[in-house]
Amino acid sequence: MKRGMDGLKSLLLVVGGTVALAFLLILMVGGDIPTALGSFLRGIFGSTYAMGEVLVRATPLLLASLGVGIGFKTGFTNLGAEGQLYMGSITITTVAMLFPSLPPLVMIPLVMVLGFFAGGLWALIPGFLKARFSISEIIMTIMLNYVAINLVGILVRTILRDPAYPYPMSPMLTESVHFSQMLLPTRIHGGLPVALVMVIAVYMLLFRSRLGYEMRAVGLNARACRCSGIKVDRAMVLSAMIGGGLAGLAGVGEIAGLHHRLIEGISPGYGYMAIIIALLGKNHPVGILIASLGIAALQVGSMAMQRSAGIPTSIASTIMGAMVLLLVVRDARSRITIVEEGV
Amino acid sequence: MELLIVITTFGAAAIRMAIPLALAGLGESISEKSGLLNIGVEAIMLCGAFFSFITLFFTGSFFLGILAGILGGVSMSMIHALLSIRYKANQTIVGLALNFFALGLTSFLFLMGFGQTTTLPSTPVMSNLPIPLLSKLPLLGGILFSQNLFVYLLLIFMVLTHIWFYKTDFGISLHAVGEHPIAADTAGIRVHSVRYFAALCNGALGGLGGAYLTIVKLGFFQENLTEGKGYIALVTVILGKRRPFGVLGAALIIGGAEALQIRLQTMGTGIPSQLFSMFPYLMTIMALLLTIGSADAPSALGIPYDRDER
Repeated sequence: MKRGMDGLKSLLLVVGGTVALAFLLILMVGGDIPTALGSFLRGIFGSTYAMGEVLVRATPLLLASLGVGIGFKTGFTNLGAEGQLYMGSITITTVAMLFPSLPPLVMIPLVMVLGFFAGGLWALIPGFLKARFSISEIIMTIMLNYVAINLVGILVRTILRDPAYPYPMSPMLTESVHFSQMLLPTRIHGGLPVALVMVIAVYMLLFRSRLGYEMRAVGLNARACRCSGIKVDRAMVLSAMIGGGLAGLAGVGEIAGLHHRLIEGISPGYGYMAIIIALLGKNHPVGILIASLGIAALQVGSMAMQRSAGIPTSIASTIMGAMVLLLVVRDARSRITIVEEGV
Repeated sequence: MELLIVITTFGAAAIRMAIPLALAGLGESISEKSGLLNIGVEAIMLCGAFFSFITLFFTGSFFLGILAGILGGVSMSMIHALLSIRYKANQTIVGLALNFFALGLTSFLFLMGFGQTTTLPSTPVMSNLPIPLLSKLPLLGGILFSQNLFVYLLLIFMVLTHIWFYKTDFGISLHAVGEHPIAADTAGIRVHSVRYFAALCNGALGGLGGAYLTIVKLGFFQENLTEGKGYIALVTVILGKRRPFGVLGAALIIGGAEALQIRLQTMGTGIPSQLFSMFPYLMTIMALLLTIGSADAPSALGIPYDRDER
């Protein structure tokens, strides 16, 4: 009972600390807190469109952070969701431009599967190198992000370029690769149900399958697993690949549902936010779902705050970082008190 | 003669690219030797870059700018140290969160100070400081001794750290704390103090590396100015096996790649510049592949030390 109260108190501390920081930052730019807060909330709940925007943002975040979460659970610190996402979007663009006449029934599954594999392959490289040669996946995945982003830059200027426009971007992709729009007038698209299905799929994988059990065990203690005959390398590589695949799927969804063409910068750092989301959601699919909605709302709200109250949107990433730091302190504190109680 | 000039300019450029990486890498090496794994080098460098720029902009003093950069870096590394040592938090997570925090904070404060402008506010950059006599040497004079203050600082720090690591008792303490904190503690070494001191060095050197970017190299600041240099600095640490001159060598290799890509970009070949921008990152990956089979991280790297634990 006492510990429950303590837990609540420390959670309030995290929330309170985050809000206090947000208020401080708003005051620092000379903003008025009621105005800023009002525009923040209106930006999220003000209209059907606004609420839809939260879900539109949450779609890639959810997919990518599920992928990151799977990796974290297995002890694979995947910071490369950004690059994996871009590999997915490169793949869908290439396939749609190569085979524009495929019917949607073939096209949509094809681009989803290939996009999944492209993202998976991009994560497979660091996954394999970590499992086989224990090369730091942290650095490898970050470096591959930059490679993928530059690759997009090269492709939209060369072979995937639309010659009709002076800007570096691909031509508009054929209709048959577009996800259907839902709940107009919002911009919600078919990527959202896909992402929600993936929440269940990831839950089943992690907690209801043998492979998932092995992945979680490897994440807890790889050495013990190796001793007890679990194929650690296999679990690691598969976890990296599935995780990367989910991020690749996020990239497919952004093109198929939203942009319908490949442009530079389709992701405003979704892959990096996915890391924060996975940490906030404790790598659990349901936690990740909630955290994705929260972070998406934070972003949409802070964009509204910039429009109507002049508060820079970078307040969002400051808050995200601070939130994780406070949460880390909270977890550590609860661990320390437990030790002191002698439990 | 022509060749000599090319080598000199290229060598000098490679060193200029290597400085921020080498400074931050040196700091991280000290930190990792003590057992503190700080992925937040990016945060340290970014804060160093931002705070030195803003101080230089408003005071016009390079000295205060450098000082502010060091303090900016130290503030980040000390948050990391506090959470890792006092709260025994997961060091990787803290580093990652710090990177996010610093990215948001510096961009927020920058926009707060200057608003959304089309022309970036800029400052004069620090001029070169050729060393009398030595700068007249053929080849080496042009590459090494006609540089800016940071190059000399870097060389001094390299030598000092080398002496610290391998020639002093304090260096032995540092290694002991990172390899076997329990034994170090038993021998009367104050494990946590050594780690805090290592974190302090890390923040100061990384902050200096960041400061170099704004007040020597660029003269302006923009969102995410470091663009992953903090992570590349981590590679120099691994590649250089946490030895001061190893780190310097690794930084020179990657810095050379950077200098080369800028050279190629400005030649106007019609090839998309992204191909060249990719080059240093690919080089880093290659460098990391070279470390296969030679892992020699301190045994207690990333593991919090708890006296009461057995």
